[in-house]
Parts: sequence; C-alpha cells; structure tokens
Amino acid sequence: MALQQNKSALNDEKLVRSAQRGDMDAFEELVARHRDKIYARAFSMMRSEDEALDVSQEAWVKGWQRLKQFQGESSFVTWMTRIVINLCLDQLRKQKRQKAESIEQLAEDSGGVERQMPVVTTNPTEGLERRELRARIDRALNQLSYEHRTVLILHEFEELEYKEIAKRMQCSIGTVMSRLFYARRRMANLLAGFKRDELSP
Amino acid sequence: MKAEQELELQAYLDGELSERAARRVADWMAKDPEARTLAAELRMTKAALAGNDPELAVPETRDFYWSTIRRAIESLVPAEPNPDLGWLLAWRRYLVPLSSLALVAILAVGIARFSGITGSRDPWMNLTEVESLSDHITSHSFRSRSENVFVVWISPQDQVQEETPATEEEDDIVIQ
Repeated sequence: MALQQNKSALNDEKLVRSAQRGDMDAFEELVARHRDKIYARAFSMMRSEDEALDVSQEAWVKGWQRLKQFQGESSFVTWMTRIVINLCLDQLRKQKRQKAESIEQLAEDSGGVERQMPVVTTNPTEGLERRELRARIDRALNQLSYEHRTVLILHEFEELEYKEIAKRMQCSIGTVMSRLFYARRRMANLLAGFKRDELSP
Repeated sequence: MKAEQELELQAYLDGELSERAARRVADWMAKDPEARTLAAELRMTKAALAGNDPELAVPETRDFYWSTIRRAIESLVPAEPNPDLGWLLAWRRYLVPLSSLALVAILAVGIARFSGITGSRDPWMNLTEVESLSDHITSHSFRSRSENVFVVWISPQDQVQEETPATEEEDDIVIQ
C-alpha cells in the first residue's frame, strides 16, 4: 500500500522510466491511471464490453513489451491509445473478413444513403449538457458502420490527419475523405433525429 | 453539388488543402449558398464531437484488471534456470560433440562386427598374417582366442628364438 502511494505521487514520465527498467509496480500505476481512457477507446471502436476488455488488456501487455521503444515524442497515454487503436483495427478487420459484404454495406461506403439525407440546419446539440451530449454521441456512434465510426474517432477524437488515417485503416486518402464525409452527414442526421424524438410528445 | 466538390469543401474545413486550393474553395463558398449550408452542417458536427469523446470506466476492479495483465506479462518472461541443474547446462555445450563421438564409435564397432561375420567369425583373424619387408628381421605373432589377445614381436634375423611348444591356447602362431 505504501509502495502504491509512493508511486502515485510520481508523474507519468518518471513512472515510464522506472517501468522501462523493469519496475512492474510503476507499470501497474500507469495502468491504474490510464486504464479507463484505453478501455473507453477500445469500447468506442469495438462496441462490446467483453471485446473492449480483452483488447485493452492486450494493449497493456503490448505496451509493456514495447516500452523500451517509447521515446517520449508524445504523451504516454497517447502512445498507449495508438496501440489499442491498432489492435482494434486488426480485430475489426478480422471480423469483417468473416462477414460477407452486404449490398447495404457497399451502398453505405459509397454514400448511397447519406447523399439523400437533408442538410441539418438547426444545431441539434444546442443547450445540451455535456454529459447528455456525450451520451447521444455514443448512441449515434453505435449506429454507424465500423468504417464510418472508426474514421470519425480517428479524425475527431484522435485528431489524426487524412494521410495518417489512411495508413492505419489501410485504404486510400480518397476513401478516408468519402468515409469521413458520409460519417459526418450521418452523425448530423442521427443527432437531429434524437432531438426530434426528445421534442415529440 | 458534385461529390468531388463536397469532399473538397470538407478538406477545406479540415485544413487539408494547399493555400491555393483553399482560396479557390473560399471564393466558391462565398458565391454558393448551398456550399455554405453544407459547410455549416459539417462545422456543427465537428464542433459537437470535439472533446466529447464518450467517457467510460473499466467494469472491473483495479486489482482484477491488473491481475490479468500481470499474468500475461509474466507468461512472456522466460523462466529462470534451476540452479540445481546448472552443471547440466554448463556441460550442455559438450553434449553434441560427445554424442557425435559416441555415434562414430558405435558405428566403428558395428562395422568391425559386421566384417567379422561376413568374412571370418573372428575379426582378429584378419590380423594374424604379418609380413616382414626385410630379410634381417623376423617377426612373430601370437593370438589367444580365450584371452582375446593378439601380440606381434619383431626381432633381428640372428636372434631367432627357440620355438615354444604349442599349448591348447597357443593354437594360432605364425612365424615368418
């Protein structure tokens, strides 16, 4: 207990340096500090509690294995987030290979549905408390295809550029642009739909 | 609006266009109300998402969550060598050459045995003929089956020894 209190007083940088020398207690403190964020990122992509738990724990194990490669160019939690995102993408690609492509899926990727959607002119999130806004965003993410959800997460939450997203998703920049466009359009319409539901008697 | 224009508009809002292309899109937006409406929706969505990543907590206790990770990490670390077996590890590097030598020895014995069976019953029989290359040297050989002994002695021609009477054992003497 005293050891844990001692570690919790250290910043990430010092804990990482200790962990790089093999101090597993320091690594445990890093896990305790950032596990929610890593798990939340895994869940936002996988949409399954069990899968998010497995992938996030696997990410920590990989993090430990590659810890010596971490040079501090980004924050430790950003570095760990990249690891969990890559694991989620691998997992999602495997799952997608197992599923047959449906006509709806192909139409969604090329904007078959989103092109017909009306442009949302009134802000559907205006006046919402942050907690409620986050809950609605989560609900909307749940209704997107994994390609649209992933591209939105990588661009809007992880703030990656098109080129970096293309590399991670193993597709062209043009595909990233079209997926992002249709994902945003769909997100706007979903949020508008939630607002309408709220207002309807 | 064409699909290419929509994507270019989005790239403009995301700051992914070159200065020249960005100026072109800005001019187009100033003239086209449809482009401005679409740009407003895209901006709104971008603003709604920014910093509003859904927050979640791990649905397990700290200890339970960590124990799974720790077990996985420990299974990656190679086990420490057992100090009681240290001598075996030290000798391990000699085992390969020693086993090779043993194999060669076994093969040699096997071949010797095999040649004994195919030629004569006793492989030593092949060695009982001794040839002297000099007229000044006399050589004697002695073989005992029961003792499994084979002896050759060489002496000058003028020191020829008395022939020893043969016994039951000394039944295979050759004098040249």
